[in-house]
Amino acid sequence: MFAVKLIKQHNEPNIWLISYLLIAVLAIFLLISLTTGAGYISVGQSLAYLLGQPDAIADNKLASVMETLRMPRTIAAIIIGGCLGVAGTLMQTVTRNPLAEPGLLGVNAGAALGVVIGISFLAAETGYAYLVWAILGALVGSGIILWVANHGSAVVTPVKLVLAGIAISATFHGITSFLLINSQATYDQYRYWVLGSLAGVDLKSISQVSPFLVIGLIASLILTRPLASLMLGDDVAKSLGHKPALTRFIVTITVTLLAGGSVALAGPISFLGLIAPFLARAITGPALFHQLILSALFGALVVLIADICARLIVQPFEASVGVILAIIGAPLLIGLTHSSRFSQLILSKTGS
Amino acid sequence: MTDSMIKLALTKHHADRALAVRLNNGRYSLVFNRPVILLSAGLIVLLILSVLGSLSLGATILNFQTVFDALLGQSTQSQQLLVNEFRLPRVVAGLIAGFALAIAGSLIQNVVRNRLATPDVLGINEGAALLMLIVLVSSNVGLMGPWWVAPVGAFVSGILLLIIAKGLGTQGYRLILVGLALTYLVRSISELMLAHINSLHASATYSWSVGNLNGRGYEVAEPIAIGLAVLLPLVLIISRQLKIFQLGEELASTLGVNIFQTQLTAICLAILFAGLAVGIGGPIGFVAIVAPVIISKILGSTHLAMINTGLLGGILVIVADTLGRFLVAPLEIPVGVLTSILGGPFLLWVLLSNKNT
Repeated sequence: MFAVKLIKQHNEPNIWLISYLLIAVLAIFLLISLTTGAGYISVGQSLAYLLGQPDAIADNKLASVMETLRMPRTIAAIIIGGCLGVAGTLMQTVTRNPLAEPGLLGVNAGAALGVVIGISFLAAETGYAYLVWAILGALVGSGIILWVANHGSAVVTPVKLVLAGIAISATFHGITSFLLINSQATYDQYRYWVLGSLAGVDLKSISQVSPFLVIGLIASLILTRPLASLMLGDDVAKSLGHKPALTRFIVTITVTLLAGGSVALAGPISFLGLIAPFLARAITGPALFHQLILSALFGALVVLIADICARLIVQPFEASVGVILAIIGAPLLIGLTHSSRFSQLILSKTGS
Repeated sequence: MTDSMIKLALTKHHADRALAVRLNNGRYSLVFNRPVILLSAGLIVLLILSVLGSLSLGATILNFQTVFDALLGQSTQSQQLLVNEFRLPRVVAGLIAGFALAIAGSLIQNVVRNRLATPDVLGINEGAALLMLIVLVSSNVGLMGPWWVAPVGAFVSGILLLIIAKGLGTQGYRLILVGLALTYLVRSISELMLAHINSLHASATYSWSVGNLNGRGYEVAEPIAIGLAVLLPLVLIISRQLKIFQLGEELASTLGVNIFQTQLTAICLAILFAGLAVGIGGPIGFVAIVAPVIISKILGSTHLAMINTGLLGGILVIVADTLGRFLVAPLEIPVGVLTSILGGPFLLWVLLSNKNT
């Protein structure tokens, strides 16, 4: 069985070639993202600025649109997409559940609640304070969901886990609304943020969040081996010298850092953790390392495209990335239930 | 109707003592189980208490004596206005919405044979709310729009759900998953639309879109109550067939139950009930799952007590709405927010306690 897997990996498409292709496509959409959107700047002007033509750089209006609006949200889209893609893959692996995803499982709602608690009770005002509270809230959410996933004797099917996520999200959302009911202004601000929009992101908040996300990404690379062994079962993992309980704990922290950091930056974004690993798995085999790399790239690409759509679909307004991703993600979820291989996975009792 | 036509018989039924009223030599019969009747009595007492509580609590707190006086028209004009014009219609509306939601939940759960299959999880409530929103945005009707839009919306999303999921499935999980996806899809479309209407309209609509009884009274409760009264006998007939259905499909069909027809009728009724409830109070969450689960915990899963489930649903909505008006008075918390806060842990408990939900 193991030998078969090794041979099969050899026959798989060249992972690096695909990665380079994805990076090339990503670069194209990066250019599109920098040259489209609000601000009445033409594609030619934006290109002139990007190519460093002196009169374009001297143009104050052009420079401010590029530097304060388009560049931060483009960078944020790529970072968030990559991190949520990785977080989704980690959660799916550790829960052995192809539907596991920070947005569906209540981690995002926990982060949102954390931020609102911070604002309401402890006068959190800075982006950094938001970040800390988002990560604390996400930790509570992911802690509960992993506890549910490994809950004693009860059979937790993938669908049940998603329903548990809905239960957790509903309670968190309810408490959040409860706290926000006193202030219409905060409520409006919160709603704007909670829909998941990249419009308000600036370079300062990106640099504040980055350390947490980088730690999360490094941790997920280190986790590849112990997690891969965990997929073979706890006993095998133990005999290979890994500690399953410790692995699960570190995965929880890692997912929390990645999802909580992303939520702090752009609000809760659902479904990405489902879409990106799904696309990655469609190309790679079971090798976790490859899945992580491709999930990150696909995640970045999907969020970037969704953000461009959000800017263009309902001009002069903006739709939120979260809404666009839900519109892409829901049909995918329906499609998954109809594909026989996945529906076996999703509907089976063990989920593995 | 002669004595010979009406036979009262005490029969053993599921080891409980049951009272069976047989009309016309047993062609029609009503079976009353003692625990079911006892539970009904208890629930009615609870209902009266929660109605009284709801009439007395709020931004202004009245004592029971004042409430009674106001109901009888013997108190000050402002108290009468508060009790009879503001609180009572809202309590009636909440009662009807809760009743309808709980019965809708019980019907779908028993057809799909899955505790988690309820109109809110399956996206039927959200579909009803979306159609309401579309009518509101595309026309200049009042703030809430005509109530009958919601049942139509529920029906459209219910049919869509059944078509996409290709029927009910054996355990209902495919149905639930497709329902979840539809819920997300519909909710994002609603959010997209909310982003484009003016902000005053948007915040009122938003508060309705999470489940809210604020400003709802007789004008919506009346037509919906009439609709429920017409459909309720059908529910009682269907629930007896569903009870036989619980014994297994083969046994049910040998006993003369048309399975497809029963399932279809029950689903249609459930969708209608859910739609009517949304027409009153918006998509109030979790009542449809909580009420049937509590009733079956009390009575045991072999009973299928629709009226009791409905009564409990009404109580839950009234209590949540009262808490919402009372806790942070003079501000209000929408009833849907409170049912979500309390319903979430309940759903988690159901998921983890039942090995075969």
